[in-house]
Amino acid sequence: MRRPKTFNIEILSPKQNVDDLEAALRVFAEKYEQALTAGYGICIPDNPLGKLAFHGVELIEELSLPAAEGQVSLHLNTFHSFSDFHSILQRTANLGIDDVLAISGDGSQRLPKLRGRDLGIEVESVTSVELVEYIRREFPGVFKVGVAYNPYEPEADEWEKLERKLAAGAEYITTQPIIDDHPHLTRLLDLGVEVVIEAWMSKKLHLLSDCVGYEISPEKPYDPVGNLRTLMKRYPQCDYYLAILGFKTQFPILPGLLNNEALT
Amino acid sequence: MNIVVCVKQVPLVGEVSIDPDTKRLRREGVESGMNPFDLYAVEEGLRIRERIGGRVTVMSMGPGSAEKTIREALAMGADHGILLSDPAFAGSDTWATSYILTKAIRRFGQVDLVLCGKQAVDGDTAQVGPGIAAHLDWPHVACVFEAVNCDNSRILVKRMQETGHSEVELQLPALLTVVKDLNQPRVPTLKRCRAARAAQLEIWSSRELATTEGGIGLAGSPTRVVTTAPPPPRSGRTVCLAGTAQESARALLQELRMRSMI
Repeated sequence: MRRPKTFNIEILSPKQNVDDLEAALRVFAEKYEQALTAGYGICIPDNPLGKLAFHGVELIEELSLPAAEGQVSLHLNTFHSFSDFHSILQRTANLGIDDVLAISGDGSQRLPKLRGRDLGIEVESVTSVELVEYIRREFPGVFKVGVAYNPYEPEADEWEKLERKLAAGAEYITTQPIIDDHPHLTRLLDLGVEVVIEAWMSKKLHLLSDCVGYEISPEKPYDPVGNLRTLMKRYPQCDYYLAILGFKTQFPILPGLLNNEALT
Repeated sequence: MNIVVCVKQVPLVGEVSIDPDTKRLRREGVESGMNPFDLYAVEEGLRIRERIGGRVTVMSMGPGSAEKTIREALAMGADHGILLSDPAFAGSDTWATSYILTKAIRRFGQVDLVLCGKQAVDGDTAQVGPGIAAHLDWPHVACVFEAVNCDNSRILVKRMQETGHSEVELQLPALLTVVKDLNQPRVPTLKRCRAARAAQLEIWSSRELATTEGGIGLAGSPTRVVTTAPPPPRSGRTVCLAGTAQESARALLQELRMRSMI
């Protein structure tokens, strides 16, 4: 039997402009506790698509949610003021959360952007490479730092970026959602670095296209659970990041997937 | 220092439709939020308060739903919110709106500084801020992109001009309209958002403001919109940057900077 943490469940934080904030917070807390109790990993994105949302660290603090060691991963991108950015890292460490996914992220006019001089370096534009370097320098040994890999980008460019991220000290890689399979996965696994494969759990593939920036249109209707099964069969050594998981219909079948019965 | 920031709820979409009969924007069913320029005015008010002390009060004229915009400002850190709302205010043009806001500022009492966004992105007139200053007979500066210095009696600012900028010192009380280069508005925290949503707002109607019937709504609005038409669509174009990768990257950077995109 695979260990439960094989699944890292993405839980989207409430957007700042949500009509009923208290109801949205309750839903967030319920999903969080449900995933935590089941022993899965929890991943909380940071302002996805540049939409203003609450950061995972303030949600955990404000809602007094438990932060079980090794089970929670917070995303952190470059669209923060320096004081907020540093404060998020400090508070994440204070909560005992030891996993951060450093990403460049999606910006918007409403979000500030870290500058090189904020981090004490001479670069114009800060990317996840500089985030990893900063975290390694300022919080040595505190966090396991992951980075993203987008197989939909031109391979040479993306690979060069990945090498810089790993050289900066990244310890694991989370892919963008994989549909069925992708030739880059074998190359990633050959690196000998932990790879977390993202599985897109929504049937709405146009949202995925928005996320990765490229049109993704499979030939047959998309079956998210079938896709996850296929990926787990092909890459049993990997953990899986479940994006947009349905808590009512999909969450209950996850134990079955882990028990291999669904993989045969 | 008593600072009042005037904010407006606007549609947050790229395309809005116009009612052919009233020639006004259709706002129903459209996601709305604080006018982007007003965010910078709120932020500057908060920064001045943090430097020299005082209170920041946010005012907005609009329907009940504009309360959400005031709460956005409270979530950023404003101390107090006042909604100016009355069916009689409907249809007010920039002159009538600035009159209503002026009445509210006078009713509020001691005010040292009024901050407004340069313009609202729905009407794009840039008239309300200067209109308030005219009604109050206060000095004002439009398009402020830097507040150099401020104490309880004067403020030194830089204003944007077509060919460069100028530095202006004003005796307080005064009014400023601000542009986006002024600062980077802070992102509200969850704790503040929750407090802002629970905060009590004051609601002032025409009765509290003692506005004259002929000064508000359509009756108080000399502006007549004769016709409206969408602007011609922008044509996209592809630019090929020649040279080595380094040269074209430099050219691209220059181009993006010239367009104020980075």
